[in-house]
Amino acid sequence: MGGVNYVTQKRAALPLEETDEESWEELGSLPLCPLSGAAARSWGGREAPGAMLGKGAGGSGAKPAKPSFVSYVSPEEINIKEPTEKEVNLHLLPGEFLLCEASTVLKCVQEEGSNRGAYGRLICTNFKIAFLGDESSVDDNEPEFKNKIIGENDITLHCVDHIYGVYDEKKKSLFGQLKKYPEKLIIYCKDLRVFHFCLRYTKEEEVKRIVSGIVHHSQTPKLLKRLFLFSYATAAPANTDSQNQTVMFDAIKDWREELERTKGNMKYKVVSVNEAYKVSERLPLYFVVPMSLSEESILQHQGRGIPIWCWSCHNGASLLKMSAFPKEPEDNTSQMHKNFLDGVYKTINKPPYEVLKIDDLSNSLPSLQDIQAAYSRFKQLFLIDNSTDFWDTDVKWFSLLESTNWLEITRRCLKKAIEVVEYLEGQKTNVLLVEENASDLCCVISSLVQVMMDSHYRTKLGFQGLIQKEWVIGGHCFLDRCNHLRQNDKEEAPVFLLFLDCVWQLVQQYPPAFEFTETYLTVLSDSLYIPIFSTFFFNSQHQKDTNMSGDSYSAQSSHFRFLTVWDWSVQFEPKAQVLLNNPLYVEKPKLDKSQRKSTRFKHQRQLSLPLTQTKSSPKRGFFREETDHFIKNILGKRISKLINSSDELHNNFTEFYDSWHSKPIDFHGLLLPHTEGPVIKVWEQRYLRWIPEAQLLGGGTVATATKILDMMEEVQSLQKAMDEKHSQTVPQGREALPMLRNSARLSSLFPFALLQRHSFKPVLPTSTWKDLEDEEDLAKRDDEFVDLGEVI
Amino acid sequence: MLSGSKNSFDIPQRPGGPALRGPKSSEVKDKRNRNCLAFTCIPGEHVLEEAAHVKRIVRSRDGEESMVGTLFCTNLRVVFVPQPAPRDAVGAPGCSACLHVVALPCIERLVAVNSFTKAKVLTASSTLKFIPEELILYCRDFRVLRFRFHDSGWEPRAFQVTQAIVQAQEGGGGSVAMWYGSATLRNRENTWLSKEESALPPMLLFEETSDWEKELRRLGAVGWRVSPANERFDMATSLPKYLWVPSRLLDNELKRAFAHFNARRIPRMCWHHPGGSDLLRAAGFHADSDPEKEDVRSVEALLFAGHTQCVIVEMADDLPSPAEIQLSALKLRALCLPDSSVADEKWLSALEGTHWLDHVRACVRKASEVAALLAERSCSVVLQESEDRDLNCLLASLVQILSDSHARTQSGFQSLLQKEWVVAGHPFQQRLNLFRDSDREESPVFLLFLDCTWQLLQQFPASFEFTETYLVALHDSSYVPFFSTFLFNCQWERDRRNQHRASNQLYALVNGWWEPPPLEILSKGGCLVKKGGGPCLPHIWDWALCYTTQQRAQFRNPAYARHCSSTVVPNGSSAPLGGDKPDPALSGSGSVYLLAKGSLLLQTHLFPWENGSLSRKPWRRTQSSESLGEQERSLRCKPSSCPLQPEGLLRPAFVGPLIQFWRRCYLRGSQEVQHGLLASTRAEIAEELDLLRQRLAADPE
Repeated sequence: MGGVNYVTQKRAALPLEETDEESWEELGSLPLCPLSGAAARSWGGREAPGAMLGKGAGGSGAKPAKPSFVSYVSPEEINIKEPTEKEVNLHLLPGEFLLCEASTVLKCVQEEGSNRGAYGRLICTNFKIAFLGDESSVDDNEPEFKNKIIGENDITLHCVDHIYGVYDEKKKSLFGQLKKYPEKLIIYCKDLRVFHFCLRYTKEEEVKRIVSGIVHHSQTPKLLKRLFLFSYATAAPANTDSQNQTVMFDAIKDWREELERTKGNMKYKVVSVNEAYKVSERLPLYFVVPMSLSEESILQHQGRGIPIWCWSCHNGASLLKMSAFPKEPEDNTSQMHKNFLDGVYKTINKPPYEVLKIDDLSNSLPSLQDIQAAYSRFKQLFLIDNSTDFWDTDVKWFSLLESTNWLEITRRCLKKAIEVVEYLEGQKTNVLLVEENASDLCCVISSLVQVMMDSHYRTKLGFQGLIQKEWVIGGHCFLDRCNHLRQNDKEEAPVFLLFLDCVWQLVQQYPPAFEFTETYLTVLSDSLYIPIFSTFFFNSQHQKDTNMSGDSYSAQSSHFRFLTVWDWSVQFEPKAQVLLNNPLYVEKPKLDKSQRKSTRFKHQRQLSLPLTQTKSSPKRGFFREETDHFIKNILGKRISKLINSSDELHNNFTEFYDSWHSKPIDFHGLLLPHTEGPVIKVWEQRYLRWIPEAQLLGGGTVATATKILDMMEEVQSLQKAMDEKHSQTVPQGREALPMLRNSARLSSLFPFALLQRHSFKPVLPTSTWKDLEDEEDLAKRDDEFVDLGEVI
Repeated sequence: MLSGSKNSFDIPQRPGGPALRGPKSSEVKDKRNRNCLAFTCIPGEHVLEEAAHVKRIVRSRDGEESMVGTLFCTNLRVVFVPQPAPRDAVGAPGCSACLHVVALPCIERLVAVNSFTKAKVLTASSTLKFIPEELILYCRDFRVLRFRFHDSGWEPRAFQVTQAIVQAQEGGGGSVAMWYGSATLRNRENTWLSKEESALPPMLLFEETSDWEKELRRLGAVGWRVSPANERFDMATSLPKYLWVPSRLLDNELKRAFAHFNARRIPRMCWHHPGGSDLLRAAGFHADSDPEKEDVRSVEALLFAGHTQCVIVEMADDLPSPAEIQLSALKLRALCLPDSSVADEKWLSALEGTHWLDHVRACVRKASEVAALLAERSCSVVLQESEDRDLNCLLASLVQILSDSHARTQSGFQSLLQKEWVVAGHPFQQRLNLFRDSDREESPVFLLFLDCTWQLLQQFPASFEFTETYLVALHDSSYVPFFSTFLFNCQWERDRRNQHRASNQLYALVNGWWEPPPLEILSKGGCLVKKGGGPCLPHIWDWALCYTTQQRAQFRNPAYARHCSSTVVPNGSSAPLGGDKPDPALSGSGSVYLLAKGSLLLQTHLFPWENGSLSRKPWRRTQSSESLGEQERSLRCKPSSCPLQPEGLLRPAFVGPLIQFWRRCYLRGSQEVQHGLLASTRAEIAEELDLLRQRLAADPE
C-alpha cells in the first residue's frame, strides 16, 4: 500500500491533547446537572459553553477550568488563534472548540471495493466531527457549491445517525462506554452520508480518545442548554444585518396580516390569551380562533378542544386544527370533555360557519411509529457500506422499495391532503384536523393543503412563512422528533422529512409552480441538523422563549441572538444560493381589482364541481362517465357490474381528482399531485447524492439546469438591451455563474457531488487487464492457453 | 405533449391550397355538417362505414373532456375527424386540428361496452349481439382510444361502424402486400409534388455505397474499406449491400468467410473509435461448416481486424432472448392498461415482476461495458449473437450512442438506425408482427432499444439533440405500416419491393399526404386501379409526413449542449491500424477474450472447429487468479492506460434507482397519468430567446 510508510507521525503529539485524556470519561459519569435550573443560572450566560463541557478540553488547549471560570477564551480569539497555532485549516465557528483529535486516520473511499483513501486527522469538536486531509490542498478545486458551515468532511454531532465499529471484520454498533476499540469507524449520517475511518495506523491512545469522544458527544443524551446553539449564540458576533423577510408568525401583526391576506378576518380573530403562556405551553403566544369562540372556553382545557385556524380558502372555507382530548375510558372527565366539544362545535357550526368536516388524523393516517419504522427501512436502502451491497439490491430494487412502505406513506399523506382540498375547494366545507397535540400529522396535512391551494406558499418566502406558521410556531416538537438531544428514541419520527418529501413530489411533478428547487428542499432537510439555527431546535415557542434569556436574574441578562435558518447567507454564498431558486418560476401576475374579479370567477368555475352525491365511480374511473350516464337516464335502477360500490366520500374524492387532472394547469392556482403508483418517486437528489454508482458525469438534471440558466440570462440581458437600446450603453458582461459555466463536466450529483471519481472507473472487473499489459507473458503463462497459431 | 394522439396523421390545410388534383382522390365531407374537417385518404383507401356524432373521450391536459366528431372506418385505418369546436377557430392550433387515426394493424384489441352486458372483446368470429354505446380501441402503441356513440337515433350507425371496424381489422389488416399495394399509386401521384415539402434531414440511408464511404471518412477509419461483395445479396440476403471490412482483405478472401457464420452474416465493422478500437458485429459461428485453413485465416483476419486483441462479446450470456423480451413486454402491457387492477401500493413490485426494467438495465450495462472497453484499449470488439439480427442491433446502436456524440444528434441517430437496424436486417416484420403472421416471432426488441435510449436521454438530458417526444414518435411510427422503414425483414426484401424505383433519392420527393388533394376514391367506392410505376413507400424519416411543424418542434431538445470539440480524430491519425504492423492473427500472437457476466475471460478456443473439424466441446474459460485488489492498483497506477478519452463518452448509471419507467410511452392509455405540458416551458424560453434576438436584430437603432 505504501500508505503506512508515507505517514510520518508528524502531528503525533500535539500539546493540546494532553489535557484531553480523561475528559469525557469523566463527562460520561458526570452527573448531568439540570442546567436549565439553578445551575445554569449560577454560571451565567457567557459561561454556558464552558459549562457544557464540564472541564472539557478548553479552546486552545487551556487547562480544564474550574466550573465557574470566567476567563474563557473569547470566541474571536479562538477563531484567529487556532489555525495559526496548529498550522492546519481547522475552521472553528464562534463558540466551537476542539475536544479531541487523532492523526493518521485513513478515510476510506468506497469505490468498487478498493482500499483507496486519504490520510488525515479526525477531529471532534463540540459542534462537529471533522476530517482534515493531510493533502487536502493538493487538488485545489474548491467545491463550487459550498456550505460555509459544514464542509465536505464535516459531520455535525446532530447529524450522526449511527456509529459502528469494525472489529475483526465484524460490525458492531458503538454506544456507551467502550471496552475495546475498533480498527475501523463507520459513521452513518442523517443526511445519508457514510464515512469510513480506518484507525489501524493511528496510535492506540488517540484511537481511544477519538472513538470514545465521538461516541460520547454524538450518542449520549444531552441537556437542552448544552446544545451548541447556545454557545454559538453567545459567542457569535451580533448579526445586525440579517435580511430576513420571512414572516415569522411570532408577532400578533403577522397573524393579522395573514388573516387579511386570506380574507379570513371576517370569521376569525387573533387572540392573545396565551400571552405569558397562561393557556398552554404547547400553544403559541398568538393564534387565531373562530370569532364566536369565547376566551373563557379557550382557557378551559389548556388549549385542548380548541379549533385553531390554519388558513382560509378564497371561497371562505377554512382549515382548522385541534388538539384532541386524550382518549380515556368513559368517566366524568371524558364526559366533560365531550360536553365541552359539543359546545365548541355548536358555536362554530352555526352560520356563518355552515358545515364542519372533522378528520381525526390519528385514525386515518399512519402512526408516528409506523412513519419512523418505514423511514428506518427506507434510509437503509441508501446507507451503503460498499458497492457490492448496492449491486445485490438492484434486481429486487422495486420490491425492496415497496416493502419499506415509505412511498406509500407519502402517497397517503398526499391523498389525505387532496381529500381535504376537495372539502375546502369542491364542497366549500370547513375542515377540522384533529390530532393528539395537533403538531405532527396536522402540520403535514395542513401545510400540504396550503402549498397545494395557495400559490403564495409556493414562493420561497411564502414556504418559509408556512413552515414558521405551521411547524415552528405551530409547535412541532423538532427537538423530540429529530431526537436532537438523544433523550428518548421513542419520540423520534421524521415527520418534517415526510412533509418535505411530499412537497418534493409536488415540485417534481410541477416544477414551474414553485419558486424554489429540489436543491432548496434538500438543503433545508440538511439544515435540520445544524445547531446554529434555532429554527429546528426547539419543541415550541414557549421552550424557545424560556431559554432565550441565558439568565433572567443575571445583570447582563442578554438575550441569545439565535440565527434563523431562513437567512440562507449564513450557509451559502450568493452564487451558491442561485441554485436554490427555480429559474423557470414565473411570479404570479399582479392584477388590478377588476381583473382579479374575473380571474377569481374563472378559477371557481374551473374548480367547483357538481355537488351531486349520486355520482359514483369505479376505482380507475374508466367507465365511470358512461355508466353514470346510463344509470341516470336509461337504466334507472339497474347497476352495471362495472361499478364498484365504493362509498360516496371516495367517489367524490376521485371525481374531484379526475376532474382537476383533466383541466389545464394553472401554476398559480390549485395544484393537485398525482398519486398513482408510477408517479410517486424516490427523492433522488436527497437519497442518492452520495452514492458514486448513481453519479452521471455530465448528466442529470443539472445538465439542463445549466442550459436553462444560460438561456434565462440571455433572455434577461437581451430584454435589457431592448430596453436600453436608445442609450448606447454597451451590454454589460453577463453576471456569470462561474460554477455552472464549465458545466460540461458537472456530474448529476452536482451541488452535492463532492465525491469525485478520481479515476476512469473501470466498468469491468478487469481481471485480465494485467495480461493485456504485457502480452509477451501471455503465451507462456498458461498451460491451457492454446496459441492461435496452433489452431490454424 | 402531442395531445394524446401521437401518430395522428395531421393534414394541415395548406393556406390557399393549390387546386392540385390527383386522379384518384376525393374529399370526404360530412353531409350533415359542412364545417367538418375532411381527411385525406391514402390512395387505395376507401371508407367502409362512418358514424357521426361520436364523442371521443380525451383526458389529456390540453384537450377537453370529449370531442365530438365523425368516426370513419376505412379499409386501412380508423379515423376520427372532430368537428371544429367554435372556440377552436381562434386558438389551440395543432391539437384541435388533429385527426385521430389508428392504422388497422395497430389495433390490439377492440372492446365494445354496453351497460346491458359486460364489456365485450370483439373478434371477427364473435358476432356483435348488442348495440355498443362505447367502443374502446386498445392500440399496440399503448394508446387507448375511446369513442362513445350518441344516445338516440344513431344506434344502427354505431352498430355498423363497430362491425366494420371489427371486420376490417380482422380481414383487412392484411399483409404487407396489401399495404404495399395501397401505396402503389403514390409514385405517380406525387410526381407533381413540390420539392419544398421534402425535408429529409441530412442523414445517411446506407443504401448506396456513397453513404458508407462518407461515414467511413467521418469515423476516420483508415484501415477499412467498403466492400461491395454483397451488392446483389448473393452472399447473404439479410446483410446490407455494402460491408465495412479490413482494407487488407480482398473480396475473394472475404468470400471464404461467409459460409462459416450463421445466415452467412460475417463480422463487419460498425464503428471505429478515434482511439483505434473497432466495434464489429457478427453472427455465431456456423457449427456445421467445414472450414479450410484459408477460410479460418479469413475469419481471423475479420475478427482481429488488425488488432492484437479481440474481445468477443457474447449476447446470450447476459442479455435477454427475444422470447424473454416478448414475455416481459406482455406483462408490461398488461400492467400499463388503464384498467389494470394493480393497486398503487403494489405497483412497484408489479413493475419489478415484469422484468422489463431488468432487461433494460442489462442492455445499458452491457453497452456501457463495451463502450468502456473500446475507450480503454485498442482492440477489436466483436458483438456476437447467434443470428446477429436482434440484440446485436440493439447493442451496436447503444454503444455508439454512448461513445459517439454524433449519434446523439437527430440526423446521426437516424443514420444509426438505418445502419444498425434497417439495413442490417433486423426482422421488423417478424418482430413487430404487425400483420399477425406469426405470434411466435413477435418481440419488441426495437422498443427495448428505444427504452434504453430513453434511459440515456433521461440520465443525460443535455447530451441529446432530440427529445422524449421524438422517441415516442419513432415508437409510434413503427406501428404504422405506411412506411417502408419498419415494414420489412431486411434490405433485400425492401429492395425487391422497390425494384422499379430509380434511386433512393426519390423517397424524398414521394412523400405523401401533406396536401389535401380531393380524393374521389371514396365516392367511387374505392375501386383501386393499379397502374404502372414503381411501388414505393416513404421512409419515416421525413417527419413532416405525419407530424405538424409544432409537433416536430418538440422533437428538438432546447437544452441540447452540442459538443464543440470533435470527438473524431481526423483521418485516424492516432489509429494504430496501419498496414505496417504485422498481422497479429496471422503471426499467431493475437489473443482472444470473452466478455461475459461483466468480466473478461481469456479464451483458448476461438472456434468451434478444430483442425478444420468440428469440436462440440464448449469453450474452455480460464480466469486469471489475480486478486481484484491488485489489478485495481495496477490499473490505477497506469492512468495513461486509456489511450484517448473522447469528450463525448457517456457513462450511464445502471443502478436500480436510476433505471426508470418510461411513463410517457407506456402509460399513454391511462388517462390519469397523462400530462406533459411541463416540458414545453423550456422550449418556451428558447423561443422567447429567439424572438428577442430577432427583434433586437431587426431594430437597428
